[in-house]
Amino acid sequence: MSSARNLQDGTSMNCAEFQEKLPELFESGANVSQEEHVQGCETCSALVRDLEYIAAQAKLLLPIHDPSPVVWDNIQSAIRSDHGADSKTAVHSGKRT
Amino acid sequence: MNLALKTKSDNPLTENAKRGIFKTGGLRMNARPTEEQKPIQHMRRNPPIAGEAEAIAKAQAGDGHSFEILYSLHKRRVYSLCLRMLGNVAEAEDLTQEAFLQLYRKIGTFRGDSAFSTWLHRLAVNVVLMHLRKKGLPQVSLEETLEPSQDDGPRKDIGERDLVLSGSIDRVALERAVENLPPGYRLVFVLHDVEGYEHNEIADMLSCSIGNSKSQLHKARMKLRDLLRSGQRKEESIA
Repeated sequence: MSSARNLQDGTSMNCAEFQEKLPELFESGANVSQEEHVQGCETCSALVRDLEYIAAQAKLLLPIHDPSPVVWDNIQSAIRSDHGADSKTAVHSGKRT
Repeated sequence: MNLALKTKSDNPLTENAKRGIFKTGGLRMNARPTEEQKPIQHMRRNPPIAGEAEAIAKAQAGDGHSFEILYSLHKRRVYSLCLRMLGNVAEAEDLTQEAFLQLYRKIGTFRGDSAFSTWLHRLAVNVVLMHLRKKGLPQVSLEETLEPSQDDGPRKDIGERDLVLSGSIDRVALERAVENLPPGYRLVFVLHDVEGYEHNEIADMLSCSIGNSKSQLHKARMKLRDLLRSGQRKEESIA
């Protein structure tokens, strides 16, 4: 059994192959922890467990802070300045903006 | 485009503005938010937002109040993206401001080919990337982070004491680890794993291939694992 052989002889070859496929496995939605290699390889099993855990924990990092009210004040002010500049440009160039 | 971002000190408000209302070149803008902020669970994966389509159409026609609604709906996500990428409140607020100013100037070009939040996020991402490049951070280039690196090979920690992260990291530790990711990795990780964008949307935002987005995400998670495990080791050595 190839996965068992991985553990016995300590080769990283199959681990390398598995880890190369890992991004696609995750994206495919497959149950990665049920993959044959993972079942017989403690290293890759821990890796998969950690990566799944990190992805799950990331969902807890949703936005929780708002910008201060001064940001909106500044946006209004900058828009007003833009419009002022546009008016001046129109006067100087003789064109409508 | 170099926008002069105004700070608190050089932004004198008129009396009307202090009361929350003033007229700007035909735009009547109300500084007081008119909608409650959306619950956190409504902020993932581009859910339909009630009233957004109408607000977009009206803002495109020059209605300031509708633009303010769009600001209220999206300010938290744009600000959070800026804050995560900059790690600095003042810079994050400046970039949030710039992103929405660009939105104001470009909203007429939005055609609805993608979700509005995706379109706005792409705009905000560009503002952030331009800012980081101006600061001279070499690892900001997505092209650079797409090149193979020493992180890409198989894990060589066979035989090393297994530090399983599951159940052992908290939000603070993860936030700190995310802050220490290279910006290119951080951006894809935040967009995908935190904010819930799909790879095709991220590829669109970052002008890269879907494969690159997937690859960046995987590298980001691997790097995070390394950062978190090294943090665990430090804690254990202190204890």
